Amino acid sequence: MLSIEVLQDQNHSILLLEGEIDASNSIQLDESIRSLADNGAQSILVDGSKLEYISSAGLGVFMSYLEDFQENGISLKIYSLTPRVLEVFKILGLDQLISIFPDKTTALRED
Amino acid sequence: MPKLPNLNIGKLSFLLAILVWLALLFVDLVRLFGTINEIDSGIAQEFTWILEILFFLTVYWFYNYSISRNTQNDFLNLIWRAASTGIFASGSMILIDLFYQVLGDSKLGQEPFLKNFFYHIHFALVTAFLISASILWKNLILYQRSKKVVKQWQTFEFAQLLAMFFIFFNQNTFDYSFIFGMVLLSGLGLILSANLKWIPYLTFKEKWKSLLFLFLILLSTGFLFIQTFSYSSQQQTYPVNLMDNLFLIILFVFVFVYALFSFLVTLFNLPTSSVFEQKLTEAINFQRLSQSIKPEESEEQVLDILVDSCMSASYADGAWLELQHESSHTEISNLRFLEQDTLEELRKVINSHKQVTEWESEEKPENLGLLAIRLAHPKFESALIAPLVVNKEIIGKMILCKEVKEGFNKEMTNIISTFVRQACIAVENHRLLNQAIQNERYQEELKIAQRVQKSLLPTRLDHNKAFEITAYSNAADEVGGDYYDTYQLDEDRFVLVMGDVSGKGTSAAFHMSQMKGIFQSLIQLGLSPGEFMIQANSALSRCLEKNHFITASIFIINTKEQTICHSRAGHLPTLLHHHLSGKAEFLMPDGLGLGILRNMQYENHVEEMTFSYQSGDILVLYTDGIVEAKNQNSQQFGTGLIQSIVEAHSQLSPKEIQLKLIDSLHEFVGGDGMIDDDYSLMVVKFT
Repeated sequence: MLSIEVLQDQNHSILLLEGEIDASNSIQLDESIRSLADNGAQSILVDGSKLEYISSAGLGVFMSYLEDFQENGISLKIYSLTPRVLEVFKILGLDQLISIFPDKTTALRED
Repeated sequence: MPKLPNLNIGKLSFLLAILVWLALLFVDLVRLFGTINEIDSGIAQEFTWILEILFFLTVYWFYNYSISRNTQNDFLNLIWRAASTGIFASGSMILIDLFYQVLGDSKLGQEPFLKNFFYHIHFALVTAFLISASILWKNLILYQRSKKVVKQWQTFEFAQLLAMFFIFFNQNTFDYSFIFGMVLLSGLGLILSANLKWIPYLTFKEKWKSLLFLFLILLSTGFLFIQTFSYSSQQQTYPVNLMDNLFLIILFVFVFVYALFSFLVTLFNLPTSSVFEQKLTEAINFQRLSQSIKPEESEEQVLDILVDSCMSASYADGAWLELQHESSHTEISNLRFLEQDTLEELRKVINSHKQVTEWESEEKPENLGLLAIRLAHPKFESALIAPLVVNKEIIGKMILCKEVKEGFNKEMTNIISTFVRQACIAVENHRLLNQAIQNERYQEELKIAQRVQKSLLPTRLDHNKAFEITAYSNAADEVGGDYYDTYQLDEDRFVLVMGDVSGKGTSAAFHMSQMKGIFQSLIQLGLSPGEFMIQANSALSRCLEKNHFITASIFIINTKEQTICHSRAGHLPTLLHHHLSGKAEFLMPDGLGLGILRNMQYENHVEEMTFSYQSGDILVLYTDGIVEAKNQNSQQFGTGLIQSIVEAHSQLSPKEIQLKLIDSLHEFVGGDGMIDDDYSLMVVKFT
C-alpha cells in the first residue's frame, strides 16, 4: 500500500510518501519522480516520515535517477526517514550517494 | 427341443392368418352348400365367429409386429403404408366389380359359391386395411407419449378386444346395445384422435405429401365402407354376415376420423409450418453457436455462424460485421449480399445517424442493447445494430439491413440478441481457453527455468577440516535472484559469496545467472575482496538494467592463519558469533551495492576488513527475504531474532542452526503465511 502526494513549496517539489514501497508499487514512485523531472522540477524533496518500508525495488527507483539528476543539475533530497528505513538506505550504501537529512529544515538549509 | 427362437414371428403370424382365413372360408362354403341343398350342415354360427375373431387377432399380431419393426418415427412412411394398403384393397375390390360386370347375367355371375369366395376376400382385405391403419395411427398417436395417452390407448385396445366378442352377446343383430357400444368406442377413438403432435414436425413439402396420402386413405375407407354395406344388403347369398362385427365398424369409424382430423389439421397447419421450421433452425443455430467453442475452431467461424443465424432469423437482406482492432482500426468482415459501394453508402448513412452516435457514446458496454433504426437510403429502409461485447469490452458490432421499413419485430430482436450473446460467450470462452493453454506453456517454461537455476547453485560446498558449511536457498516464485557460491583458491584459502539481485522473479533470475558468470571468472584471478567488488561492479554495470542492482558479501577464509578478509557491497551485515564471549556482532564495513554507481567512483565506496577467528566461531550469511519476512501483525523477522537464535543454539552444528533458523522463520510468518521474497542462508562454523 503506497500513497504519494505531491506538494509545491516555493521552488521545491515535495513528494510525501505514505505506506510501503515494494516491487508491485515501485512503478508508482518511478512515475511520480519522472513526471516531476519532466515538468522541469529543479529541487525534489522526499518526505519519508510516513514511509514504513522500502524494498530493494523501491531503492532501485531512487538509484536509477542518480546519474540523470546529477547531469541535469536536479537536486534530490530525502528527509525524516524512520530509523528502520534509514537503516535500509545505509546498508545498501545509498546514504553516501543521496543527501539524507533528519528533517525538512535541515534539508532546506543545505543548498 | 425344436428350434423355436429362430422362428420368424412375422412369417408365422402371416401364415396363421391365411390358415384361419382358409378355415373360415371352408366353413362358410360348407354352410352355404348346406343352405342351398336344404341340408343342415350342423355347423353352428358361433364356429364362424370364433374363426373370425381368430383371424382378427392373427392379422393384428402380424401388423403389430411388422410395423413396429420396420418404421422408426418416419411419419410419411407410416401414412404411405396405410394409404398403399387402402389403395390395394380398394383396387382389388374394383377389379372384382369389373369382373362381375363383364360376366353380366351369365351363370358364372350368379354362382353363389364364387360370390361367397369374393365376399371372404373382401372381408380379408377390409380387415387387413383397417387393422394396419389403426396400428399405424397408434404409432402416430403415441409419438409424444404421456402416461395419460398410453392409458387411453390401452383402454381403447381393450375395448376393441371386447368388441370382437360382442357378437356372441347380440347374435349379430343391429340393436340398441350395438349402437351403444358403437357410440362408446367411437367416443374413445375421437378422444384419441386429438393426439396429432407429429404434424408440426413435418416440413412444408412433407405436409403436402401427407395431405395426398391422407386423402387417399379417406377415399379408400369411404369406398370400402360403401362396398361393405352393399354386401350386407344381399344377405341371402351370405349365410353368415361377417362385416357387421362391432370391431370392424369401430375401426372404420376410428380410421376414418383420425385420417380426417389429420387431414384437416395438416391443411390448416400449412400456412404456419414455415414459422415452426424457422424456430427449429434457430434452435439448431443456437446449438451450433454453443458448440463452436472448441479450441481448434477460430473466432471467425463463430462470427460466421452468428451472421448466418441472425440473417435467417430476421430475413435480413444484407449484413456485415465491423470489428474493432487495436489502434482503433475497424475491419469489415462477413459481408453478406451487399456490394462494396452499397456498403460504403450504408455505413455513411448509419454513422451519421443521430441515434447511432448516441448509442455509441454509451460508456458501459454491458448496458448496450440492440438498436433498430430507420435508414434514409433508397434501397434499404431499416437496420438493426447489435454490439459484440466480450469480457465487458466492445469488440465490434453487427449490422443487419432490410429493404422494408420497420423490418425487425420484437421476436427477431429477441432471438438476435440471444444469438449475439451466445456468440460473444463463445468468443470469450475461446479466448480464455487459448489463454489457459498459453499460460500452461509458460508454466512449463518456468519449470525448465527453475531446473536450470537450481543447477546454478552449488551442490557441493568447498571446505576443509577447519570449518563446516551449509547453505539453503528458496525462491518466492519459480525462479529467484538469490545466489551463493564457494571456491577453493588453494589448500588453505576458500572464498564464500552470497548475493541478492533487487526485485524477484524472472528478471532477477537472469541477473543472478550473470552474477554467477562474473563471480566464477573474477574469483580465479585471486583478487582481494575489495578488488573483487570493484571489478564485479564494473562488469555488472555494463549488463544490469538501469534500476536494478545487486548486493553481495564476500569472504576469503585463510584456515592456516585463521583469518578472514571480508567486503560487503550493500548486502545485509553478516552475523559473526564469538565462541569465547558467547556474543554475536554484525559485520558492517562500508560498501555500496553493485550496479548503483556505474563509474570509477565506486572504488571510494567499498571497504575491506580483516579479522581473525577462533574455533567455535560462527558466520551466518543471509538475504533480505529472511529479515523482511512479515508475520500477521506486519512485523518483520529482523536481524535481532537471527542473533538471539544463533546465540541460543551456538553449540549446534551449522546444519542444525540453519534448520532452527528456517523453522523459526516459518513459525514467525505463521501457518499459511507466505514469504513473498527469495531468501537464502549460509552458516559456517569453525572447528
